[in-house]
This record gives sequence, structure tokens and C-alpha cells, in this order.
Amino acid sequence: MEYPTSISISAFTRRKFLAGAGTAAAATMIAGCSGGTLNLPSVSSFTDADVLNFALNLEYLEAEVYLRAATGSGLSSADAGSGAGTVTGGAKIAGLTAAQQNFLNEVAYAEQEHVRFLRSALGSAAVSRPTIDITAGFTGTVTAANSISNSSLPAIPTSFNPFGNFDSFMVAAEGLEDTGVTAYNGAAPLISPAGISAGYLASAAGILAVEAYHAGYLRSSLIGNAIVQGTTAYPYPLYANRIAALRQALSGATTETQLAGFQSSASTVANVQTGTVVPADTNAIAYARNTDQVLHIVYGTFSASGSSTTPSAGVSKGGFFPNGLNGNIKVTQS
Amino acid sequence: MANQETQKLDNIIASRRAMLLGGGAALAALAVPSVAKAATTVSTYTDADILNFALNLEYLEANFYYEAAFGTNIFTSNSASTAAGAAVLGITGSGTQGSVTVKSNAQVPFADPRVKSYAIETANEEGKHVTFLRTALGSGAVAMPAINLTASFNTLANTAGIAPAFDPFASDANFLVGAYIFEDVGVTAYKGAAPLISTSSQGKTYLQAAAGILAVEAYHAGLIRTTINNLDPTGALGYIEMTRKVSALRAMLSKAVAPTSPAYPTTTYGDDVPLTPGTQTVSLAGGSAVTATTIADADQTNYIAFSRNTTQVLNIVTGGGAATTGTKATGLFFPSGLNGTFV
Repeated sequence: MEYPTSISISAFTRRKFLAGAGTAAAATMIAGCSGGTLNLPSVSSFTDADVLNFALNLEYLEAEVYLRAATGSGLSSADAGSGAGTVTGGAKIAGLTAAQQNFLNEVAYAEQEHVRFLRSALGSAAVSRPTIDITAGFTGTVTAANSISNSSLPAIPTSFNPFGNFDSFMVAAEGLEDTGVTAYNGAAPLISPAGISAGYLASAAGILAVEAYHAGYLRSSLIGNAIVQGTTAYPYPLYANRIAALRQALSGATTETQLAGFQSSASTVANVQTGTVVPADTNAIAYARNTDQVLHIVYGTFSASGSSTTPSAGVSKGGFFPNGLNGNIKVTQS
Repeated sequence: MANQETQKLDNIIASRRAMLLGGGAALAALAVPSVAKAATTVSTYTDADILNFALNLEYLEANFYYEAAFGTNIFTSNSASTAAGAAVLGITGSGTQGSVTVKSNAQVPFADPRVKSYAIETANEEGKHVTFLRTALGSGAVAMPAINLTASFNTLANTAGIAPAFDPFASDANFLVGAYIFEDVGVTAYKGAAPLISTSSQGKTYLQAAAGILAVEAYHAGLIRTTINNLDPTGALGYIEMTRKVSALRAMLSKAVAPTSPAYPTTTYGDDVPLTPGTQTVSLAGGSAVTATTIADADQTNYIAFSRNTTQVLNIVTGGGAATTGTKATGLFFPSGLNGTFV
């Protein structure tokens, strides 16, 4: 069987991807019937270990957020590495139902095991946990999200506390999980042939799947609760959409699908609308983000001038990571 | 990266493969092979073959959701599909084109607006996957094979020990259980296929798309598993038990072990973890063991989703049809088999 000829390869190179051209999603665009043109660089900017360490930084953040929400404390020192940075913020959520507690336990365990898996795979090359400020990360996110002009979405209340109740936590966590999915999706094609043979790609795809399973829980719960109650009574999906709009702005490209399917009042079988549990493009394929786009999100790079942002090169820290990530992928190149 | 580090991953992969290809036993209700065919080697097929294998599965999923959400197949519009903006999909191509066997007016009599919303969304998205793959493959796309959505569910439910017959279109809950059968399989199939895609520039493009579809299947699966969990949080309604039996049957078909009834294990799950509300025990940092849900269908030791090779997937969707090397797998959802190279 011959290779199909209807996919046109856009100018998609590993170097360009990592350099943050802001067009990662273009890699999957279908355009006419022209054949593909090979445009891969012979030398990669980063090694597989760099990419895995980038993922490890994100897993440290997710693990700390979920572990603290579930139990009140974070990773054990053995899982954080030598000379690990401190972690600020996060607290056990009060008033959880048994089902909610069990879900938090599952995700906390999953993120903890992802940290352990990546540390084991990287061995002595594994980076330690960077300094993490959960409080500053979420506070900055909410402030920046509220500064975006959008009359159709209510402002997130100043009293909003991600660890104050389960619904607020779902709003905050949904952003982390969706970011994780796009980050792993963006990283998958960066893995070298040797890395594929070594199993890195399969492992990354398997972690991506788990992030999406858990994101599916969060998005379907936020949407489902609003379908039943209406957003007047249950405004949390609208808060999540404000934060999604911020991630979109920080990414500089279409990388988000806002939560939908609900109305201001409770929906019925007769009038319910199609949902958007899945954040994906017009082909129903999940978005990918390059490393710069992910860095801008977790660093909270946002200058609220004219309700817009201009992500730029040279950003090395901020938001959840006051001292930046550990490893070779830590400074934005665009 | 050092050899020592890659060796760790190799060992993990090798041990999982050994588990997945575990020994067989006597046959039972379904034609389960005693030993699964060995995984095909990477060098023996093209990216197009892999995409066409996925296309067969997407034809199945899309038809299931179109029938449930709209009461029509993917190549025939009706008022419900038109109102939802669902496209009429192409089904022509190489191989033998088949029809869809399904009960008359299969649209689920939705009682819960959430389930209806989810069904319409998922139908639209699976339909887009069909169109995307067909467009990517161009003239190389395979035709839609014959698809059975009636006897297949009855046989599967009977073998799994759920009931002599099962209509996935009868109610919200039955629809969710029916969907449960498909989505986790899609995740494992795409994950298994991802490392097989070539590393050419074009292959990288396919890989990006495959990873993106994998994510969408996992979102769907997370949605389905969450909704069933919320519907029957303690298991008192019996739906959790159904998912346990479905998962057990999938795991058995996947590793070619003859199903027994009741077909679910209580402690180990092979390559398929069912919903277990509050009965999974996990150990979190600095604390004692706690109970946890199993929203993600993943390896409990590292929380990485499972892979299945094409033979394992064929065994699941055809009910153990991939019994003999060189013989086309037929049965269950694909009574005439799949179209393409992986059949």
C-alpha cells in the first residue's frame, strides 16, 4: 500500500516547534492534495531527556496541587529529589463527599506515580522539584483572567479559593489537566527514533491518556452540573472559561475549546445543547502546545495592556514557578 | 540518555508485554484463540495501514453514537442528525463495503439532558474522526465494513455474564454501558499504534494527529466512566458490576484467555481496569493507604494507560476472531471482518 498523498506537511520542524513558532497545530492541517516535503532538521535542539524533564516539572506541579487538595501535604522528599525547591500554598479541601475524596485520591496517586515514573526513567538525569508557589500561580491566573475584557463572562469573585471547595478546585484543576494534555500532545512528535524504541513515546502517550481521562471527569462534571442547575445557580464553568480565555491569550493561537452545553437556567431533555466535554479542533483532534506556549501559561506571562498579551522570548520564571523550571527547557524562545 | 535508564523502560515494557501475551486456556462461548498471534513487527506495514485500521474502529464508534444520538447511521441523514449539525459521512473505499445492522429507530429515549448532550457531542466528534482519517488517506481509505450493533451486544453481554441479551439503545444507563465497551478500547488501540508510526516527516504529522485523537478518546472515556460512576456511586444499581464484567471480558479477549462467567477478577485486572468506586486502594505520600476511584483505565503501578496491539484489538472487536494466523478475523461487531491490512 502506498502512502496517502493528501496530507500536506506544513513547515514543521523540530527546531521551529521548540522555538515556539506558535503554529504547532498547523502540523496536522489538511491542505489539498500536494505531497509532503521533508523539512526536519538533522540536529535536535533538545534531547529526549530535556523533553522528559520538562514533563517532570509539570508533573511536580500537578502532584503537589492534587496531593495537597487530597491530603493536606505534598510529595515525599524522596520523590522531590535532592535540593528540591520549596512549595507554597495548597490545602486539604474541606467538606468533600466520599466520591469527591476518592477522585482526588486517584488523581493525586496518578500524578505522584507519574513523577516517580519519569524520575525512574531519567535516572541520574532527573531534575529535582523546582520551587513552586501554588498560591501565586492561581492568584495571578485569576487576576489576569479577570483583566481580560469579556462582557459575556462574569468576573471570578475575589473570594475565589481553589482549595475552598470542590467546585472551585475543579475550575483550577481543569486548566492544569488540559494544559497537561496539550503539552504531552505537543511533545510526542519531538521524541527521537531512539526514544521511541526505548518506549518513551508509548509512555508519554499513556500519561497523556490518563491526563485526558481526568480532564474528562472535570469537564463533564462542570458542564453536567451546569446543565442540571443552570449557570445562575452554578457559575463555575463560566469561571473556567475566563481562565481558558487567558490560556488562549497566553498561547497566541487557538488552543482552547470553552465549556458549553449549559444555559443560565436548568436544561431539559427537550432544550439541552450539545456539550464540549472535549477540547479539540474542527477535526475533533485535541490541540497541541509547544514548550513556549506551556511556559507562558505556567509562568503567567501576562501584561494587561489593552486586555491582551504579547508573549515574548526570554521569560524564565513567574506564576507557579517563581524561580523557573529546572532543566534545559525553561526560558521562552518566543 | 544512558543505557541504564533506557533499560529500565525496556524492562517495564517487556514485563507488560509478557503479561499481555499471557498463556491461554480452554475455549468457551466465544471463539477465543488459545494463544494470541505475536505482535506484528514494525517493518511490515505502512502508516496508511495503521490509519486504515483506526478508520475501521472509527466507523464502528461513529455508527454506534449516530444511532444512539440520532437514530440513523453515519451515511443517512434524518431530522435529528440535521438538527445537531452532524455530517453525512462517506463510507466508500477499498475492500468490501457493508451495511449497519441495528434495531429500528435506535435513538435512545433520553431521560437525562446531560446524557443526551454527551451523546450528541460524541457522535459529532467520532464522525469527524472518520472524515479526518478518510481525508488523510484519500484514495487509500478503506470502505466501511459490515457492522453489527444488535447480536454483537447480546453475545457480548451473555458471555460477560451480564444478561442473555443487552440493548445499548434502551435507556440512558444502557447507552453508557454500551459506550463503555468502545472508548477504552480506542485509547489502548491508538496508544499501541503510536510508536509504530514511521518517523518520517509525514509520519510525524500522523503521529501528532494520532496523539490528538488518542486524547479525545480518553476524554470521551473519562466522560463515560465519570457519568456511570455518578449514576451508580455505590454500585447498588448494578451498572458498576456491568463495567467490571465488560472490562474483564476485554482483558480476557485481549490476552486470548477463555472467558468464564462471571468473568471478572476481584484483585487483578490484566490490561483493563474497571470502575471500582472506592474499592481501589492507593498509597499517597506521607500517609496511609486510602480508597480511590478508577476514572482512568490505566496500569495501577505507574498510572500509565495500557497499549494493545492490532491482534489484541481485533480479538476484542471480533470476539476472539483473530484465532488463526492468516485467517481473517470475523465476528461480534464486525461479522465480515475489517477492511485493510490488519484484518
